[in-house]
Amino acid sequence: MIVFLLLPALLLLVVVFVGPLLRYAWLSFHADSVITGLIAIPNGGANWLRLLQDQRFWQDFGQTMRFSGVSVGLELVLALMIALLLDQRWRGRDIVRTLALIPWALPTTVMALGWRWIFNTPYGPVDHLSRIVGLGSLNILGDPSFTWMATVWADVWKTTPFAALILLAGLQTIPVDLYEAVRLEGGNAFICLRRITLPLLRPYILLALLFRLSQAVGVFDLIQVLTGGGPASSTESVALYAYLNALRFLDFGYSATIIMASFILISLLCVLAWIVLQILIPTQSKSQEVVES
Amino acid sequence: MNRRFLVGLLLFWSLGPLLWQVYTSFCSDQALIQPFSSIDHRWTLAHYQNVLTANPPFWRYLVNSLFVGVSSTFLCLMLALPAAYALNRIPSKLSMLSRLALVGAALFPYVLLFLALLETARVLNLGNQLLALSLPYAALSQPLAILLLNSAFSDLPPELEDAARLEGLSLFQRFRWILIPLISPATASTAILVFLFSWNEYPIALTWISDSNKLTLPVAMARIAGSSIYSVPYGAYAAATVLGSIPLILLVLIFQKPIVSGLTSGAVKG
Repeated sequence: MIVFLLLPALLLLVVVFVGPLLRYAWLSFHADSVITGLIAIPNGGANWLRLLQDQRFWQDFGQTMRFSGVSVGLELVLALMIALLLDQRWRGRDIVRTLALIPWALPTTVMALGWRWIFNTPYGPVDHLSRIVGLGSLNILGDPSFTWMATVWADVWKTTPFAALILLAGLQTIPVDLYEAVRLEGGNAFICLRRITLPLLRPYILLALLFRLSQAVGVFDLIQVLTGGGPASSTESVALYAYLNALRFLDFGYSATIIMASFILISLLCVLAWIVLQILIPTQSKSQEVVES
Repeated sequence: MNRRFLVGLLLFWSLGPLLWQVYTSFCSDQALIQPFSSIDHRWTLAHYQNVLTANPPFWRYLVNSLFVGVSSTFLCLMLALPAAYALNRIPSKLSMLSRLALVGAALFPYVLLFLALLETARVLNLGNQLLALSLPYAALSQPLAILLLNSAFSDLPPELEDAARLEGLSLFQRFRWILIPLISPATASTAILVFLFSWNEYPIALTWISDSNKLTLPVAMARIAGSSIYSVPYGAYAAATVLGSIPLILLVLIFQKPIVSGLTSGAVKG
């Protein structure tokens, strides 16, 4: 009986998550493009050999990592500051929290084009500001050294509320008397943050990091609409490259290879990031020792 | 730095870009290219007029997205509720393992699935059908939905169901009359999050739907961007942004409690 309750959901999950991965693994060893008439023909490891030598893939992969690393890092710092602000008691806090959540709720594509207008040269406010400040016209969406920062900016804007909310939930589980204990011993706000907030927030930081990192490495909507991957594919992400291979170049076999390779590389990096952060953030027991000693 | 300044900064950061869109949407085309100098005839409603009388009119996309959002949410809950309940009734090791797999699936960057899903749609002839979109949407939001609902079921005291069983209520009756009403707050949170996901989803809708009468809102918006790299009709687009944002802003304002509790309960228990 219980099995029948689980079965429909399980079936759907297998079809949508496991099925595609198996299909990609299979397809990545086949030529399946407009040249073969969209019929899959085994081609040994040719796709994988091509991938290893494909400069554009490795460039896109590097760009995707740069985008994810910088934007998730900025997001976490910003989210922590917002969460600390929203954790205090003041009038109107709830309405501010709700308003701050709006960027997260809007479709990515909607505001991606909004950002395109804001970063527009010469009519957008950002360009106007840079001219007033004396930096001159920056041509943000036309100069590869700025464009990727614009994509990071737009991503941070949209996803910080989500991370802030998770960290806020974590902050609210920390008992107030811990802070008082530190203050009684003469510790200041910074010591509170270092010895109590960060260690006790650790699981929430890791959760927010994992969630955000795994979504950021798959960035697609934002890049496709904001920059189209340009200028000169300097902001192209691996997901966008896979999309272009499938729908513009009609090369399904190679697109599947890109996706499979990205999946493997991303999984490895998530594990790596997890380990690094485990080491970086002091554990709960250590901080409690500090408080007790 | 005092708090009022920081709160102001936060609000400016969050809402500034949106307000710029609102401002743009009311500017005439001449005003758009000189946004900071004072000229006559700055304000206009022409962009809204254009967007609402275009073919297909803008509200069509809103209706499409609403339809997809509601059907996906419904399908997702129909599948996730029984599964979330059953997950507590199987051996705990197996249950633990399934939850771990679900977390993995929830973390998966789903955009990578677009190619296989596109092939599936071709084979099964699901392209250009709004109702068919709810299949991948329900499936993709399944991991999060099951995890949230499962933790809600776990919080209920087991004696409650035992008592109902002694009274002779069948599994379906217990489910329908005892358990579902008790976890309705979690169900509401889950429903809102699934709805938001379906409303905002882009890559799958982009590859499944090509008929311009059936586009969902995110794809319709992106089409304006794709029409030309150099001359995007920003005025009309800003009007569309504003119109497209209003339903979601209302949704967030009305349902902020279930949204926040849905997002954070996942964090606290996960």
